[in-house]
Amino acid sequence: MNRAVVVPLRWIVLVAAAVVSLFPIYWMVMSSFRTHEEIFRYTTLSKELFLPVHWTLGNYREIFLDPAKPFGRYILNTLLVAVVVTAAGLVVNSMAAFAFAKLRFRFKRGLLALFLSSLVIPYEVIMVPQYLLMRDLGWINDYRALIVPQIVWVFGIFMLIQFFADVPRDILDAARIDGAGWARIYGVIVLPTAVPALITLGIMTFLNQWDSFLWPLVVINEEKKQVIQVAISSYQSLRNISWGKIMAATTISSVPILAVFLLLQRYYVQGITMSGVKG
Amino acid sequence: MRAIRASLYEKQESRAAFGFIVPAFVLLAVFIFYPMLHALWISFQNYNLIAAHSSFAGWGNYRKLFSDGTFGASLWHSFYFTLVVLPVQTAISLGLAMLVQKKFRGVGFFRTVYFVPVAVSFAIASTIFRLIYNKDYGMLNAVLKGIGLPAVDFLSNPRISMLGIIVLCIWRAMGFVMVIFLAGLNNIPDSLYEAAHVDGASPAQRFLYVTLPLLKRTLAFVVIITTMDALKIFIPIYITTSGGPAGSTSTVVHFIYETAFKQMNMGFAAAAAFLFFALVLAISVVQLRIFRTDVEY
Repeated sequence: MNRAVVVPLRWIVLVAAAVVSLFPIYWMVMSSFRTHEEIFRYTTLSKELFLPVHWTLGNYREIFLDPAKPFGRYILNTLLVAVVVTAAGLVVNSMAAFAFAKLRFRFKRGLLALFLSSLVIPYEVIMVPQYLLMRDLGWINDYRALIVPQIVWVFGIFMLIQFFADVPRDILDAARIDGAGWARIYGVIVLPTAVPALITLGIMTFLNQWDSFLWPLVVINEEKKQVIQVAISSYQSLRNISWGKIMAATTISSVPILAVFLLLQRYYVQGITMSGVKG
Repeated sequence: MRAIRASLYEKQESRAAFGFIVPAFVLLAVFIFYPMLHALWISFQNYNLIAAHSSFAGWGNYRKLFSDGTFGASLWHSFYFTLVVLPVQTAISLGLAMLVQKKFRGVGFFRTVYFVPVAVSFAIASTIFRLIYNKDYGMLNAVLKGIGLPAVDFLSNPRISMLGIIVLCIWRAMGFVMVIFLAGLNNIPDSLYEAAHVDGASPAQRFLYVTLPLLKRTLAFVVIITTMDALKIFIPIYITTSGGPAGSTSTVVHFIYETAFKQMNMGFAAAAAFLFFALVLAISVVQLRIFRTDVEY
């Protein structure tokens, strides 16, 4: 094909795809600065459709001041759950990964196979009995229901095993001879070498928890204890709710995450590619 | 003496290893494996939380599923969704990956931009698209009207509501899949393309005979995880249409959710979930066979 045609065409596609990727986010942010009336008024192709006429922060003020739907509380609830799950998950999963990657013990292959077999179980299948279990434990409407079952993540263990495999066994044996216990070796030698991997896993866990929807929808029914994603969906079932307010809520809960995500995307991308196409 | 010390050393290591694994193992056993077995058990029960009694149902729940039109419809909707999303999303993502694979000025910018929607949660993406699709004041209809086309009610017209959801799902996932493809493309040595070029292969031939065969592993991974995720689609359905209009977008997971947590019919929901699990597993196995590679997942 002719170069004079291909090159401009390529750029048109590149830019068009970029516009499609960013436009919904742009639309969300712009709508959050509009008054209730404005969203209904400008419905034809014009400058006013794409930029707010009277910029307002009113939507943001209102969602934080609404006592029936305490938005600040939802953010804190979600942060609490996400931070605890991420921290506990990093510890529990890296411990298991360390043992599988570096230690010699009986039933290792069998245990690893058992762990990995859980990857084929879709969460949706165990949702019902998990809910019944939470009910029996008295954890309905309790953050423990959001935290404890989410800590172990076999996918994360699998990813860390690949990272830990690169740590030479000789170093561990040498430390052993110097009298270090396995707990010390894990904490002082192995973990520090795996910091990039831990960051990757941490980001993935945190994002999963921040985005978590179906499980909180099932186990949390109390308004004040709800997490952010479910809260946002419940805004939409209210009568006479303004889209400006909904978009203010979605903007607050996604833009900071987006910023952090973009800063650390290298790690996230590494995690995806590690798990997908290694070897 | 040395042998004793060596065996002591090994014993200690074994004990330490179990210590490291126990927390993960206990959590896995209690919150994944036990519920899995329990799910199987209650799928054979008449177990309704409202009626608060349970009795053995045998194959009753499963038999009922096969004659339940709502379940059948939800199964079809999940498959329809997957059959559209799988080829379209895979093609778009591969296209994007090939566009930004070669280094040029600004390539980093485009890679990042395409990846941005991945960081937007499903719930939020669904909410934004609900506004964009709105019949009266949504942006999409403003554009349609602007170029002289009639307004379309994207989410309340049973014939196209699923397409609206498909578009939003592809928007959110394409950057993620693109990154996987990028990694796969980068594994293909340049020398192969050069050799093909020297042999006079056209760009189309290079794509068909170099890129695609060498991308098989990556492609297999993408196809399998896309299928699994697509069959389980729930959040956008719940938020944008709640399965409507007229049940036209109710998927299997939506059916399970409604049966378990709206009708409180746990036995029936567990049976549906198990049947669905068997189907998903069977499909993955078939796909693995087709690609005949040892994909790690």
